[in-house]
Amino acid sequence: MKRPHAALFLTIPMFLIAAVYLYPLILVVINSLKTFAEIMANVVALPTHLSLENFSNAFVLMKYPNLFFNTLLVTVLGTSGVVLLSAMAGYKLSRTKTRYSWFVFLLCVAPIMIPFQSFMIVLVKVAKTLHLTNTTYGLSIIYWGLGVPLSLFMYHGFVKTVPKDLDDCAFIDGCRPLRAFFQVIFPLLKPVTVSVVVINAMWMWNDFLLPLLILSGAKQYLTLQLAAYNFFGQYKVEWHFAMAGVLLTITPAIIFYFALQKHIIKGMVAGAVKA
Amino acid sequence: MTAPAIIAILVFVEIPFLMSVMYSFTRWNGLDKVPKWIGLANYRELLTADRDLVLAVVFTLIFTVITVVVTNVLALLLAVILDSDIWGKNVLRAAFYIPNIISLIIVGYVWRFIFSRGFDSFSALTHIGLFQLSWLGDGKLAFLSVVLVSVWQSIGFYMVIYIAGLQTVPREQLEAAVIDGAGAVGRFFRITLPLIMPSITVCVFYSLSNALKTFDVIFSLTFGGPGTATTSIALDIYRTAFSDNRFGYGTAKSVILFLLILTVTVFQLTGFKRREVET
Repeated sequence: MKRPHAALFLTIPMFLIAAVYLYPLILVVINSLKTFAEIMANVVALPTHLSLENFSNAFVLMKYPNLFFNTLLVTVLGTSGVVLLSAMAGYKLSRTKTRYSWFVFLLCVAPIMIPFQSFMIVLVKVAKTLHLTNTTYGLSIIYWGLGVPLSLFMYHGFVKTVPKDLDDCAFIDGCRPLRAFFQVIFPLLKPVTVSVVVINAMWMWNDFLLPLLILSGAKQYLTLQLAAYNFFGQYKVEWHFAMAGVLLTITPAIIFYFALQKHIIKGMVAGAVKA
Repeated sequence: MTAPAIIAILVFVEIPFLMSVMYSFTRWNGLDKVPKWIGLANYRELLTADRDLVLAVVFTLIFTVITVVVTNVLALLLAVILDSDIWGKNVLRAAFYIPNIISLIIVGYVWRFIFSRGFDSFSALTHIGLFQLSWLGDGKLAFLSVVLVSVWQSIGFYMVIYIAGLQTVPREQLEAAVIDGAGAVGRFFRITLPLIMPSITVCVFYSLSNALKTFDVIFSLTFGGPGTATTSIALDIYRTAFSDNRFGYGTAKSVILFLLILTVTVFQLTGFKRREVET
């Protein structure tokens, strides 16, 4: 196959640039396999013998299974709540055309323009009053409020492309609105649902500030990011444990990314462009 | 069907936000049952007597201008290259996107390792002076470090949006320009760039608002230091409220942050939207 010269000419430099770009992460992998003395002697050199000892130590020291489970629970509960609430409301608000529904829609999407840091202080107080601090469930519920505005906006736009006749058919067949929605409409919204899931899951899995504010008093409920931060503080100079800890923390997201690469890219673009 | 969504938004975003505005007129340490109304005293203090906040605002604004420009220029350049029919473009796209999957808190920590242990080894191997500098210990260099790390982490995200934008540019228009004798550079600036203005609007908007509220990466890379050299407004708010326990004063600062971000992004959006053209 014949290829343009310019494109081929760029390939090698681009691969070199990409290698330099990812070199910090490559160093993390290399050093996670070394002993402490090897890291202190030379960061660049390869390990002299392969051992996964750092990983097993970091795994135990971080209480990794517990953290993984907490983070997964927050992400799953948070994301599914956001999907449920925003799909229902987005559908309903897109179908009703009154001045009242327009006002409600604005009320629901306005928070897209409110930065988290500008209400976090009072949010912590509200969360304490509602007994949502220091629990996994509480954290997920708070994510509902924070995640719904953007997701609702995305559903609201997409519902317009679903023919209204479908609703009417379901009604004629005797479906109640809620059942019509879940059996007929919701499956048709799948493209947005995928985007919404991707955006919210990546955000909740990687979020730091909200868990820091909500969970800091409860050791058993920490999320991965939060625990990783504490772990690095504790093992500040013990880089071999820390590097293994870094890899353990980022691997689930990387696997998630490579498994769903196409959806993630599409979801991220959709989320960004539609807002 | 809308009630649960409305309740969640009201309880966790809108009511806290409105209460923040109210508390910004009070003295409140977080423990008192009733915060004390002090009128505009918080705003007077932050406008006239708070050197830390002034420094944080200056840092945030310079940081924002530099990261927004550098991130968008580099991301667009990468997108143009990786949208051409270069060999291995899918691998390359994934490679540049990877840092974006990693949380900023981890990214900051990884780079702390690179700047300290990594640079020691690089300088021992290469004897290049650049690696001997104290990249996190010197105020000016620490600023550059934070910029570098933020750009490194976010470039992939903007690259992906730009690639999606480039794919909407109709081939016929570019081919017509080739026939008219336009060079590659002329084609890019006269046809491609105006047509992908919507993507530019979106990317600049996101990079602006993310830079103005930057927090995580600084928290784990420099913790605002050395001194207060890399303290952003968001970190300053966090410290005021949760380290100094001055909740009322912290809410006043967060109202200022909200107004700052709102003003900047509204100006940006209206300015950029005006330049968008139809295909």
